[in-house]
Amino acid sequence: MAHAHFLFRRLVLLILLVSPLAASAGVIVNADVEGHSISVATLRNIYTLRQTLWPNREPIVIFVLPDDHPVHVAFAKEKLGLYPYRLRQTWDRMSFSGMASAPIQVKDENEMRARVRATPGAIGYTSKDIVYDGIKTLRLE
Amino acid sequence: MTASRRSGWNSLLLVGLLAASPVWADELAGPRYHIQGFAAQGLIGSTNNRFFGDSRDGVSTEFTEAGLHGTWQALDAVRLSGQVLYRRAGESDKDGLRVDYAQADWQFYQTTTTQLGLKLGKVKLPYGLYNETRDVPFTRPGILLPQSVYVDNSRDLLLAAPGAFLHGASVQQYGATDFLLGWVRPDFDSPSVDYSFLGTTRPGKLKGKGALGARLRWDLPTDTTLMLTYANATGDYAPGNADLLRAGSIRFRNLLFSAQQRLDTLTLTAEYGEPRFDTAGFGPFLPDSHRVIQAAYLQGEWRFLPAWELMLRHDIFYRDKHDKSGRQFAAATGLPAHSMFARDTTLGLRWDTTPNLMLRAEFHHVDGTGWLPGPDNPVFLSREQRWNMWLLQAAYRF
Repeated sequence: MAHAHFLFRRLVLLILLVSPLAASAGVIVNADVEGHSISVATLRNIYTLRQTLWPNREPIVIFVLPDDHPVHVAFAKEKLGLYPYRLRQTWDRMSFSGMASAPIQVKDENEMRARVRATPGAIGYTSKDIVYDGIKTLRLE
Repeated sequence: MTASRRSGWNSLLLVGLLAASPVWADELAGPRYHIQGFAAQGLIGSTNNRFFGDSRDGVSTEFTEAGLHGTWQALDAVRLSGQVLYRRAGESDKDGLRVDYAQADWQFYQTTTTQLGLKLGKVKLPYGLYNETRDVPFTRPGILLPQSVYVDNSRDLLLAAPGAFLHGASVQQYGATDFLLGWVRPDFDSPSVDYSFLGTTRPGKLKGKGALGARLRWDLPTDTTLMLTYANATGDYAPGNADLLRAGSIRFRNLLFSAQQRLDTLTLTAEYGEPRFDTAGFGPFLPDSHRVIQAAYLQGEWRFLPAWELMLRHDIFYRDKHDKSGRQFAAATGLPAHSMFARDTTLGLRWDTTPNLMLRAEFHHVDGTGWLPGPDNPVFLSREQRWNMWLLQAAYRF
């Protein structure tokens, strides 16, 4: 088990070294979220407020950085394939009409990690695919 | 709203909450409430006609919007949300502070891909792409919405009303679909609605009887949105003192088509509707009528820089599809033909200065007075066919 974990860390490091995109923004979730990977389609459905539950029926709590934060801009464009202003349009349309709650905005990456660690069902993103205690990094597939 | 009806709503709400709690007792993660708001101030100048205040050959400052919006996830499956709105729009809207909407949403069926729910209370009415957030400046494509489809004249009719909506959403390989279907008691009782439906303000009262609303939305994987909205509203008129009109009734029906295509930084939008409007039983001073209105616009938005957007729109409105030039109307009534149509070409610029502050500028060239706000231009014969308008708006959000 420990051996496999070590290999995994090596693999992550390797990906970080060879791929410039992998270092741009990683998807993180609370430790109670099941699974090790997430599809681009699911990620997009979550961030456009269309999927509100994890497969185990736990409500998803979405965290975001400010619209003009470089990590948010990179995450929106590269991981979701959406411009930040389009995300904001969707959130405004859904939240001001009462159809959904807008994602919770945090001020920086430290707060992002702290809130994702503390909130069951939480999803967020950071600038690097680094392993943090109490937070799970999801592989994008 | 009467006290008895209010308590009726409360008990319905209570039944919903009680029914929901045993099934969905799971602990909800994260904060259960969210507050957001906005405030915006506009400046308007125009030639020949007035829009939202005394804008003709001057500057009107009488376009102010501010809102406070709250959401509370009371239970996993029950969300309460509402908005308090302050709005001033010249002579057309002087109501000031009001409850925009207040609803309880019970999501009685949820899976990862599908949701079904029931909204109760004073609910937002689905109508085209922009109606539900029409007073939130950031969500509009311009300072003003296309007046053909979203006529500010009859906005009270389209805003929110006591009633219930069944709604559902599903996301699949072919895209995301959602629907809304419901019944409300619409609000016909305002001076601008009197103007647009009865020609001028009247001593009596127009009261909404009931309205059926339905909307289907389909977001395709190709970044396309297709939407169909159906509305069917009826209202009764109770004559006032020394009223020329008798106790008549009005009916409004519309099937609205909406389409939007997003291509990288470009967004193309079109909406088309032929609202049918009938009046009956008002007596000799307002003969029975059956009119088919035509309303449509084509709009392009281009985000040429991350914080800058350019908007170009052509908007057409014909009060009578079978008398677009208004000649028959003019011959029959002696009133100007240009009140029967309006063609508006709009150029707009948006600058999201910071994520919290938006500045906008907009220019309109309008041929016709079809949707000119009546209360701002009470003298029918002094309205002019061709007019220009510019607007500036600063909007702040938190």
